[in-house]
Amino acid sequence: MIKNVIEHLATVDTYGVISILLFFTFFMGMLIWAVRLKKDYLNSMSNLPLDGGETTPTPSGHE
Amino acid sequence: MNMEKFKYDNKIVRAFALATVVWGLVGFAVGLLLACQLFIPALSLNLPYLTFGRLRPLHTNAVIFAFVGNGMFMGIYYSLQRLCKARMFSDFLSWFNFWGWQAIIVSAAITLPLGFTSSKEYAELEWPIDIAIAVVWVGFAVNLFGTIARRREKHMYVAIWFYISGAITVAVLHIINSLEMPAGFWKSYSAYAGVQDALVQWWYGHNAVAFFLTTPYLGLMYYFLPKASGRPVFSYRLSIIHFWALIFLYIWAGPHHLIYTALPDWAQSLGMVFSLMLIAPSWGGMLNGLLTLRGAWHKLREEPMLKFMVAAVTAYGMATLEGPMMSIKSVNSLSHYTDWGIGHVHNAALGWNGFLTFSMLYWLFPRLYNTKLWSIKLANYHFWTGLLGIAFYVIAMYASGVTQGLMWKQFTPDGFLQYPNFLDTVLHVIPMYELRALGGTLYIAGAVMMVFNLYMTAKQGCFVPEEEAQALPLIKETAREDITHATSRWHTHRFLEAKPLFFTALALVAVLVGGMVEIIPLFLVKENIPTITSVKPYTALEVLGRDIYIREGCVGCHSQMIRPFRSETERYGEYSKAGEFVYDHPFLWGSKRTGPDLHRIGGKYPDAWHYNHMDDPRSTSPGSIMPRFPWLLADKLDTDCLSPRLRALRKVGVPYPAGYENGPAQKELAAQQEKIVASLKTGMISARADREIVAVIAYLQRLGTDIKTAGSAPAAASTTLNTK
Repeated sequence: MIKNVIEHLATVDTYGVISILLFFTFFMGMLIWAVRLKKDYLNSMSNLPLDGGETTPTPSGHE
Repeated sequence: MNMEKFKYDNKIVRAFALATVVWGLVGFAVGLLLACQLFIPALSLNLPYLTFGRLRPLHTNAVIFAFVGNGMFMGIYYSLQRLCKARMFSDFLSWFNFWGWQAIIVSAAITLPLGFTSSKEYAELEWPIDIAIAVVWVGFAVNLFGTIARRREKHMYVAIWFYISGAITVAVLHIINSLEMPAGFWKSYSAYAGVQDALVQWWYGHNAVAFFLTTPYLGLMYYFLPKASGRPVFSYRLSIIHFWALIFLYIWAGPHHLIYTALPDWAQSLGMVFSLMLIAPSWGGMLNGLLTLRGAWHKLREEPMLKFMVAAVTAYGMATLEGPMMSIKSVNSLSHYTDWGIGHVHNAALGWNGFLTFSMLYWLFPRLYNTKLWSIKLANYHFWTGLLGIAFYVIAMYASGVTQGLMWKQFTPDGFLQYPNFLDTVLHVIPMYELRALGGTLYIAGAVMMVFNLYMTAKQGCFVPEEEAQALPLIKETAREDITHATSRWHTHRFLEAKPLFFTALALVAVLVGGMVEIIPLFLVKENIPTITSVKPYTALEVLGRDIYIREGCVGCHSQMIRPFRSETERYGEYSKAGEFVYDHPFLWGSKRTGPDLHRIGGKYPDAWHYNHMDDPRSTSPGSIMPRFPWLLADKLDTDCLSPRLRALRKVGVPYPAGYENGPAQKELAAQQEKIVASLKTGMISARADREIVAVIAYLQRLGTDIKTAGSAPAAASTTLNTK
């Protein structure tokens, strides 16, 4: 069935178009998602490597 | 709530650090030997185990999987525990990972010089080692996910995402590319043939670069750079975009290794377009790294580790701009098969992976030994010596690569090739090869300084095997709370990160989409590989000859893929067609022409020429830099392996008739041997029929001749692209 569908797509060139569309959809979705993230969340995340490690971790990294 | 006390495991980090240093020196030293062999061929000492063909995969495997592999484990085992605020999930798995990985490296170091190779680049190891790699990798992945599951920090920092994507993708790539049919304990044939094998191999090869050499190291950059500079990453939002865009795009770019080959044009174009798009996330990541240091550049003066890190990130930026440029078809027509590719990968390996590893080592050793770095001055000397080494190496290879590309394509005003003898183009770039060896020597000298510095640091300090830490336990949220969080729009990503398995599944889907869209059509759609009726399976003797060609690593210097340019069809003959490789398990297209292409070598020279050339290449081609292969003339051909090999080839789809391996094949083999011996006699050479050289000659004389016997090749065969 799948083989049949793939073989009968108009031409193999269709794959190029499918690929770009797939990427475009994925990328736009991801971009919108990333842009809408809240500042305080981003700040706490970016500080994660700094509050852990060889020094005793502070509770600030927790919620 | 009470703080929980626990201990970070530093012993495993130190073990991987030591392995990184030791294997790094081995990998660099083998590389330097190979570099020198290219202008002093006698350095192979006429020993099979020291020839360029057999040692090249040892060098690449040592640097990629032994040096960078151990460096990656070192960084992950250190940072993961601290980012998760938890000890590694299982000490047993940690040590299983360590010793398993070292055993694989040692077995590679033994089997590759012995000639046990699948010949597929960066996947040369034979099937028993392939299975061991899969098992050890699963052990690592279980340890990784187990630690994440036991974390005391609710969210997974971006570095962990990069580790996860590397862990799962490398497993998928390794298993799919290594599907092969065993024909003995140390011999197998790829399950795929020709064009399909090439696409699967470069889907693997390119993404081994992406998900072994790049994504885990980007994760390490996102951890160690903020750590060393004491500043959070420039933009966490950018790192999210960097991650998702990078893993989604990378997987599509594999076909850029096969531009202008017999791979269908649509796949080549996809590879090119997605490679170009890769510039965006790669440079986003590079800038994110460099801008993390905004306002802290003065720290570079005090902390040599940061110097290495900044140079590494800059090299990453250069390599990820250069790669897409080389994927543009017109640039690729000049750069492919030349030393430019070698310059490109060494820019990335020496600069990005090498310097980032050195950076981590300089940072970790004082902390593991609770002391200060023994000598900042010596580390600075290392930095400048290493940087100078990279510059000598890379500039020499760019000059050599562009020179080769131009000379191969140069026509006289009358329309003839300016350099019809390939050897002229080789001899012209020898000074560049010498300069490259100087660059390599400087790089190794720097690494030796580091080893001494780290040794002295360890000596003056006291190792801290277990590091005490404490953190609040993670409160498990109820399902209801999860749903409440998930429905709140800005909590979506937090929900995703808090669910490692769901996150992993999404990352896997993002990674697999590209591979599926490219690979599945190639296997299912017949028009992708037009068949040629005159192309027949290799004879029994040719199969054994081909296996010797694979054993000796000839593919490391000779391509078997004539591109559709006038400069190539003039030099080598008719350009290569997809249908000519349907029985090639594995494909042997190669990626570098240190010597000429061999796809149409069949019938070009008499048998006696090949005999003399293998004995001493300089007897037929004065100045040649090819090593001697005298053992081919002396060693007896092993014909006992013929039956299992033919059976294995039949199982992967080569249509040998039933029972062919039980008698008819042996008879045919003997007849073809006698024919070649008779032909050698006319060249005043008396050779014994049962020697390996006879099988090699049979294979070389067959290469590319099938479409000549057809009388009329497919219609497309008569046209070439109107480009040089």
